[in-house]
Amino acid sequence: MIGAIIGGVASVASGIIGASAAKKEARRANNEKMALQTKLNTLEKNRQEIINPYAGITDLTGMISNPFANLSVATGAAEMQIQEADISLANTLDTMRATGASAGGATALAQAALKAKKDVSATIEAQEKSNEDKRAQGEQQAQQQKMTEQMRLQGADVAGEQFMFGQREQRQMQELDRTAALLGAAKQNEAQAKSDKTSAITGMFGSLASIAGGTDWS
Amino acid sequence: MENQNLFKNLYLKQFNDSDAIAYSKGFVSNTSDYNFRILDNAYRDTGKAYAKIKMAIDSNNCSSYNCEVELMQLKQLQEAPQVSLDFLSSLVAELSVTEEPNFDPNNNYNFTVANSIMKGRPGFSKTDGYEVYLSLIPDGSQQIAFFGPGFSEPLVINNTSLNSLLEANTSLVVSTPDINKDMLRLLTEVGVFPLEAIGENGELSAGAKISEEYVIMNPDGSFDYEVIDIGNGKGRNVLKYDMDRIKRKINPFISAEVAGLLSSEQRAIAAWNVYISSGVTAEENDQTVENVIPANPWYYETDLPLNQDKKVMFEKKYKEYFMNNYLKQFVTNQLPTVKEDAVVFDMAEYKKAKAQKFIEDNKL
Repeated sequence: MIGAIIGGVASVASGIIGASAAKKEARRANNEKMALQTKLNTLEKNRQEIINPYAGITDLTGMISNPFANLSVATGAAEMQIQEADISLANTLDTMRATGASAGGATALAQAALKAKKDVSATIEAQEKSNEDKRAQGEQQAQQQKMTEQMRLQGADVAGEQFMFGQREQRQMQELDRTAALLGAAKQNEAQAKSDKTSAITGMFGSLASIAGGTDWS
Repeated sequence: MENQNLFKNLYLKQFNDSDAIAYSKGFVSNTSDYNFRILDNAYRDTGKAYAKIKMAIDSNNCSSYNCEVELMQLKQLQEAPQVSLDFLSSLVAELSVTEEPNFDPNNNYNFTVANSIMKGRPGFSKTDGYEVYLSLIPDGSQQIAFFGPGFSEPLVINNTSLNSLLEANTSLVVSTPDINKDMLRLLTEVGVFPLEAIGENGELSAGAKISEEYVIMNPDGSFDYEVIDIGNGKGRNVLKYDMDRIKRKINPFISAEVAGLLSSEQRAIAAWNVYISSGVTAEENDQTVENVIPANPWYYETDLPLNQDKKVMFEKKYKEYFMNNYLKQFVTNQLPTVKEDAVVFDMAEYKKAKAQKFIEDNKL
């Protein structure tokens, strides 16, 4: 029917029909190609950025404290010991006075008082040394425990993020691959349709002269 | 104006699709002349013109300096047949879009009439008052003009205008994207189905189910079912899905799909008018004139280029369309994968057991 409408020889009309079908297919393939290309670009643009799994790790030194840092020295007992020594020496002095002891006895008493106070001082010093040791040991233990706990938690965070990233990446890559494959197919379809169109038009040229009522235009 | 265009297109579609003309005594008893002889008429006098110009050049009897004008006219005439064939094939390709099953009737109805003439449809012959003329214009371009009772004014198309439109990837008559096909493909791409649910043909296999990671579970790892009443006092468990998670998962893929569609705004309007705005699929639509009228049509003449609001609305409605017409079936009334949980049970017993559990849990 379209041949009669267009006029000219039948091969021209059929060529037009063939070329129009090929052009339509080429346009369809081109539209598909454009849509897929835009889709591919959008997917690529919106792909998650590669994360640094270690970015979440922070300096933990500020969190570390020592429970033995402020231990006090128990001086009450030492003071009591000094007081007892003083009382004992005073009693001894009273006895010496009453019995009329010599000056040498007073000197011995003074030395005894001095020794007693030195002993008390040594006790305090030992207590301080013990506290210092505990402080250092506590410092080490607290640091180790907190570090271990934080490392465990952060390790879990990192593993979780890595897992999620891997999953999302894998799926988006599948989609990208698929869209890219479709795009390749659309390009191929478009090229084939263009080739079909060229063939259809080439087939018409043999009959072109007939269009103008047989005039030879060559 | 827009509604008139729409109704004319729908009328033409129904007229061409129906067999009514076969029952018209006037049509059957009279001859119909479809011989428009477009090329014959266009080139009727070109042989003489060609000869006259050729002789003027050969005899150096040109009206222009160095025969510049005559040489140009000669070249145009030599190239004209190829231009005609190219023009007509492009035009037929464009007009034939009006015959596609999902054609948007908001396209200019004059193109539907022109296609009916070019395809020799009953009722569009010379006898019915239609004419088509192809003219070779002195500037080397060509134009085709359609006349007849179906046109409010002659439809005139110039080949250079058509070519420039086509080269800019713009259509005279826009072809509606096959949203049904696109969405079936999209289902396999959004990442909520396991890979084994997708067949070698790239489509979802029969009985495909959404991955279990999107099914709502109890803290103890068992499935958290919804119980549905299936009538006759019976009930059964169905899976519950984490819709927020599913939406978060599929959104980037739908956005990419929409971006692809919006790469041709003409096609996006066609998709909107034919599918998206109505919210129902073609299968659900009974295709009567009333039902194919878009609920909220966009017009090619006034709504292009699409503004940002419309683009946002398009994406929103596209997502709804996908969810309601394609994904919903996979998250509704899905039976448990655990065999024992899939059995039908007595609703009265279930309710009683549920009440008992509530009493025990709350120590009532």
